[in-house]
Amino acid sequence: MNCERIREQIPECLAGRLDAAAREKLVEHLESCAGCRADLAELNAVWRAMESLKSAKQEAPDPAAKARFLDMLEAYRAGMGVAVEMPVRRAGGFASRPVWQAAMAAGLLVLGVFAGRYLALPRQENPEVAQLKGQVESLRQLVALSMMQQQSPGARLRGVSYSEQIAQPDSQVQQALLYTVNHDSNVNVRLSAVDALQKFSGNPEVARAMIDAIYVQESPLVQVALIDMLVQTSARSVAPAMAKLAKDAQVDEVVRQRAAWALERLGGTR
Amino acid sequence: MALDDEAVMSEVRAGDVARLELLFDRHQPALVRYFAYLTGNRSLGEGLAQDAFFRVLKYRHTYQSGASFRAWLYQIGRNVYADHLGRHKAEVAMPQEAVEMRGSETPPDREFQKKQEAMLVQKALDALPGEKRELLILSRFQEMKYDEIAAVLQCEVGTVKVRVYRAMRELSDRFFALSGEKAS
Repeated sequence: MNCERIREQIPECLAGRLDAAAREKLVEHLESCAGCRADLAELNAVWRAMESLKSAKQEAPDPAAKARFLDMLEAYRAGMGVAVEMPVRRAGGFASRPVWQAAMAAGLLVLGVFAGRYLALPRQENPEVAQLKGQVESLRQLVALSMMQQQSPGARLRGVSYSEQIAQPDSQVQQALLYTVNHDSNVNVRLSAVDALQKFSGNPEVARAMIDAIYVQESPLVQVALIDMLVQTSARSVAPAMAKLAKDAQVDEVVRQRAAWALERLGGTR
Repeated sequence: MALDDEAVMSEVRAGDVARLELLFDRHQPALVRYFAYLTGNRSLGEGLAQDAFFRVLKYRHTYQSGASFRAWLYQIGRNVYADHLGRHKAEVAMPQEAVEMRGSETPPDREFQKKQEAMLVQKALDALPGEKRELLILSRFQEMKYDEIAAVLQCEVGTVKVRVYRAMRELSDRFFALSGEKAS
């Protein structure tokens, strides 16, 4: 075996992952090759130094990171509409934020009144019920819009998820989501806002704004998410924009490929 | 018996997203370290790890049953890091500790020697091209075997073997140039 092949095995040998036969061959070679021995000595010294660095980097996990993850998980589950009972230890994180605590409490109160008074009644629309439903929806919108303006990305993420639960969001929510897609500093919040815009994707004005947003985005992930959302609308009017995007050398290759795929799905020509 | 990562991820993919907490507990500390090595900033590493787990959740339907969860997680992690670099092209992370320790007059005991070694190797690592630095982080610090690294980087095992050696070689040259000595 030549020196090059032998030396390529040194990192595996230092990691203790070389099998017995290969190790034996390596040792045999080293006994007669001063160059490879010197190489092993150098790499071994660096390997040891890396161990010192590894030890220096071993820090206990930050409990706040776990709390943030659980917040994010709950917001996501809320967005999915999954009915889950929250464990007691997690309830504090979500409910103790004073910014929208009052609004949430008021929302629950209106919902409680609404449920108590009208849930047992036969399904018939009366003006009072319709009015209460409207109030609940307005309150939800208020909470969602307020959360989307928070400083913390986690709170904005929850705001976006919460907006998805609004049965008939108005143009204010639509505009807030478009603003989030274009301007939020956090890529995860932008991605969630793209998902939340699904309800509006049939609106030609929103579709146009989403096409414009593709060019504003710096994250290919968000650009791909926008393309996917536009494909779901199946609107032929989207095809010319996809054709342009598929040929635009300024955008990321992955985005160009996705646009070409979108064009095929929409039945356009490349 | 504890379920393996792949079985847990299959449950998450099927809609039981609360099970992701278990995978977070198992992998988040190592993922934070991976990003901390890449960026030189632990708190930034925690933020990027959070992004990675969010993407696991969001793209859970793209996970393929039986595929190594860890390899898939680090594929996502690489994308998170690439997006981060795209947003912060001008920023270059430099370990502040390196500057502080250079002029130190502390006696050369073993503890100090280890600290200095760690500082020099961090500096040498920071000076490596991105792809070489990443290979060494996965191999040496994340203790991934070559076949797992090949799955993360989506290349052949033989390619990983050659590249790891070359990356070690370059790191060694930079390390000894910084320390002004050679191994005996």
